[in-house]
Amino acid sequence: MAFESSPQQAQAQAPTPLSPQEFKATAEAILTNVEWVIEGKAPTIRLALAVMLAEGHLLLEDVPGVGKTQLAKALAKSVDCTVRRIQFTPDLLPSDVTGVSVFDPEKRDFVFKAGAIFGNLILGDEINRASPKTQAALLECMEERQVTVDGNTYRLRSPFMVIATQNPVEMEGTYPLPEAQRDRFAARLAIGYPDVGAELAMLDHRGEFNPLEALKPVCDGETVVRMIATARAVHLAPELKRYAVDLVNATRSNAQLKLGASPRATLQLLRCARVLAAMDGRDFALPDDIQQLAVPVLAHRLIPTAETTMGGGDSTAIVADILRHVPIVSQPGRY
Amino acid sequence: MNSQRHATLVAAASIAITLTPMLGLFSGLGWTIPLLATIAVISGSAGLVRAGGRGQGLQTLAMAGALLVLLTVGFGGGTGFLFVVPTPATFEHFANLAAAGISDIIVLAPPVEAEGGILFLTMFGVGLVTILHDMFIVGLRTPALAGLTLLTMYLVPVSVSPEATSWFWFILPAAAYLWILADDNLRRVSRFGHRFTGQGHLVGPRFPSPLAASARVSGALFVAVTLALLTIIPTNTSGLLDQVAQGYGEGDGLGDGSFGAVDPWAQLGGALNRPDTIEVARVTTDDPTPFYMRMHVADDLVPDRGFGPGDWDDVQPLDTLPYDGGDVYSATVENLELIDEVAPVYGDPVSVDLGDEWGVESETGVIRSEDSSMADVDEFSFEFTDFQFDENILAGTDPLPEDDPIRQYYTDHPGDIPELDDYVEEATAGADSDFDKVRGVLDFLSTENGFTYDEEVGNSGNDEAILNFLESGEGFCQQYASAMAWMLRVADVPTRVVIGLSKGSYDGEQWTLTSNNFHAWVEVYFDGQGWVPFDPTPGTGVSGSLNIPWDDEPDESIEEPDEGTESPTDESSASDEASGAPSEELPESPTPDSDAGAIGQSDDSGGFNPAWLSLALLAVLPLIPLLWRSALRWTRLRPKRLSAVSAWDETVDLARDYGMPVGDAQTPRQAAASLAQAVPASRAPVSALASAVELHRYSGRGALIDGLPDAVKDLRIALDKSVDQRTRFQAIFRPASLADRFSAWRERVSGRRDRKRPTLRWPRRSNAGRPGPVTGRP
Repeated sequence: MAFESSPQQAQAQAPTPLSPQEFKATAEAILTNVEWVIEGKAPTIRLALAVMLAEGHLLLEDVPGVGKTQLAKALAKSVDCTVRRIQFTPDLLPSDVTGVSVFDPEKRDFVFKAGAIFGNLILGDEINRASPKTQAALLECMEERQVTVDGNTYRLRSPFMVIATQNPVEMEGTYPLPEAQRDRFAARLAIGYPDVGAELAMLDHRGEFNPLEALKPVCDGETVVRMIATARAVHLAPELKRYAVDLVNATRSNAQLKLGASPRATLQLLRCARVLAAMDGRDFALPDDIQQLAVPVLAHRLIPTAETTMGGGDSTAIVADILRHVPIVSQPGRY
Repeated sequence: MNSQRHATLVAAASIAITLTPMLGLFSGLGWTIPLLATIAVISGSAGLVRAGGRGQGLQTLAMAGALLVLLTVGFGGGTGFLFVVPTPATFEHFANLAAAGISDIIVLAPPVEAEGGILFLTMFGVGLVTILHDMFIVGLRTPALAGLTLLTMYLVPVSVSPEATSWFWFILPAAAYLWILADDNLRRVSRFGHRFTGQGHLVGPRFPSPLAASARVSGALFVAVTLALLTIIPTNTSGLLDQVAQGYGEGDGLGDGSFGAVDPWAQLGGALNRPDTIEVARVTTDDPTPFYMRMHVADDLVPDRGFGPGDWDDVQPLDTLPYDGGDVYSATVENLELIDEVAPVYGDPVSVDLGDEWGVESETGVIRSEDSSMADVDEFSFEFTDFQFDENILAGTDPLPEDDPIRQYYTDHPGDIPELDDYVEEATAGADSDFDKVRGVLDFLSTENGFTYDEEVGNSGNDEAILNFLESGEGFCQQYASAMAWMLRVADVPTRVVIGLSKGSYDGEQWTLTSNNFHAWVEVYFDGQGWVPFDPTPGTGVSGSLNIPWDDEPDESIEEPDEGTESPTDESSASDEASGAPSEELPESPTPDSDAGAIGQSDDSGGFNPAWLSLALLAVLPLIPLLWRSALRWTRLRPKRLSAVSAWDETVDLARDYGMPVGDAQTPRQAAASLAQAVPASRAPVSALASAVELHRYSGRGALIDGLPDAVKDLRIALDKSVDQRTRFQAIFRPASLADRFSAWRERVSGRRDRKRPTLRWPRRSNAGRPGPVTGRP
């Protein structure tokens, strides 16, 4: 499949959308590529790609060694864009993230040295180990998609996506992200351990070579921008919007939750739903898309009450419960 | 209010509600005051004793005492000590009152004035029932038994006057009963535990029961079904349906005519059905073969009532009684029990030695009084001439001209009863003269034609009763006489009904007339002959009945006919030996109804019977869900209304019907997947339906609807094949989707007050945040 990707043209005017079939084919090419690296995690990869195409940021919360970094790297490599990795530590400074102006003796002026954030895909490893100050700097960039240093504003690249990871088990010496900052991540995913077959296959592959190094990009950054534009044009029916609002409202009125989902959550839910629809080759979204996304997009924003936590409940279970009860068509009694 | 006091109030109120069926028995509403007072005093005394912590024995004694004191105050007639404490004389007085009341009940037609003996008996009875009622509900805590007391209260008016007691009044006692049961159950539950909703929420004692709505619905259904059954069960008298049509309060139409206080029809029925025969009069006469004693004449025919008194005001003094020749006999009547405002006389009276307040109704020949009654007369004498007619003369008499006022008045009848016309057609086929028609009708009503005498038949002569009589062939003199007169009027023969006394038994000196001698017969007007009596009732049924000579087939007469004038009072002729030796037999016990009689015969007339309509409706009842569901499907799938959404609604309902429910929170895709998993054959149609509704709802472009009805059909076939017989049956005859619809509708309608809670119901939310004085889980 040939893509007319001319960088000059694309910068000059709005990106031309792809047809649904092209979108689907490209998305599947990327998924196949990434799956080659991370076996048996197709749904997670699919959601990660959806978040990327929805211009959201992803929080990977899982134990070490399940492939969080691999996923981020494979994704970045597949779309042929720059990957920057920031290993968060308590002594990491905000300027390490954003960049810093240094004095250039030759020019006799301050020159901006771009930080790690200036890339297409930023992998923030163990984000909860950085000091709140540094976390805040990163999160600001995530939301604004720009960096301001010494009064100069620098736009970040597009596509721009932060994939942050954190370890949910070992919490000693960490600075857990506050709710306001967790809310900036479009979705939280857990990769989880591979099943037996996938793990065996992995052993076979990795014995010979590192698949990540052999990975070839299947599309460029330009195509990704066009895909983003395409996804934005996916039709959202009023019933569907209503369903999303009902879901979010249900989290707000749920007695087991101290804090419900924000309006930003609604926005991102629908944005991701559009991408999923487009990845399915559709130009309209379905409640099924929303249901797939509800747990990743909503769960990390919710705070269960103390009673629920003590009773062994967590927000994932509550969202799943809400999904089981909120009617698809919002009419009190169809009859 | 503590629960016992509450129960006492419920008991009193429920028994008070049950007084309503008596509305038809008494005139006015004044009687309610003493009865309500009785209930209040008895319940109050029970409540007081209970409040004092005394046991059931003392409570009952207190109630009985209260009733006794109340009766002594009200009816003691001053015999009580200090007017309050009854003395032996008081009880004697009570006994007299009761006896008077009983005889009043037998003779008087409802509605009656509630006074004297009747009121005494009523108060006494209601008092006893109230005591039992209170005991059952409050003291013994067996509210189910209260059904007996309520039934007793309802049976009193029903047995006294089935006509005047509409089935409608059964609803109130039934509702009162349900109230008692519900209240007691509430009391029981509140005492021993907590109430729960179906979801397990606790409900505080002050809150309405969450299940009350269902209980009310099932209660109402129960009452409705009971009434429906009552309505359709055919009875040997007039069915309850007749009274539906008749309405409440019209059933007493007989009592408000100019017959006076005593309704002769009621008196007739009551007297004939008396368990103990009493003597009503003794007559001494020198006529060897006296005829029946005429008392009342019923010449006004109204469908709802049958024959009743005409509106005759022209009462002439007794000395205007004419004499037109013939042998004059004399008779002396010793009155024992008669209280009518008319005097019984033989034949055509020539003179009657009653006072000035008595006169003769010139049109009917009835001896009556406006101001006095037979109750004031112990004995009177009169002179009379006997009826004498010849059948050959009668057979040769031409009908009155059509414009003759007598013919016009006495053939007046309601014209819209085709069944009756058929009977008349059958009876009078080939008859030319009036006499032929009379003979035809007499033959038609004869025992040979299958008619039998039966006093068990209700005391009614209205159109329904007459038709029943003609169909079933069972009735007594009221039906015989009314039917004959009615049929003759239909056949344009001037006719009226006469009520009086048959001859009674002769002991060589006196004719003794008993309550069994009350009788009704027919008089037919013949031009030039006057009013000629005929008796259609078979002789075996009537004590002291008479074989009327002109009743028989005409043959060679021995008598010279008397050419009388036209006046009703001037037929007279010489006494004859006639054929009529008084038959001395007692009334035969009525032939037992063959049970097919009342039920089976009522439908082969081809006439419309509402009972069968009800039965048909009842038969259709189980099919209603099926029909409704089919109609719903048809509406959804008919081309005009068809859309992807309506087809999907049908899909969801189908899945529900076949026991594979689709949740509200399931997307069409998920629903289709789960259905396809359960029934692989349904995969194709349900996928088509699901993608259609997806496109319709979410694509913004709409969906193609071609083939959707077929897909629904395929789906239905697939589902139908996949389930067992029982599920299939349920899906067709008791579709679950309809039940869901119904309960959703009921929830909407019931308009619960706590509706504001979120639309979602969380099973696990327990009682957190719910108001109510709940002290903890039991």
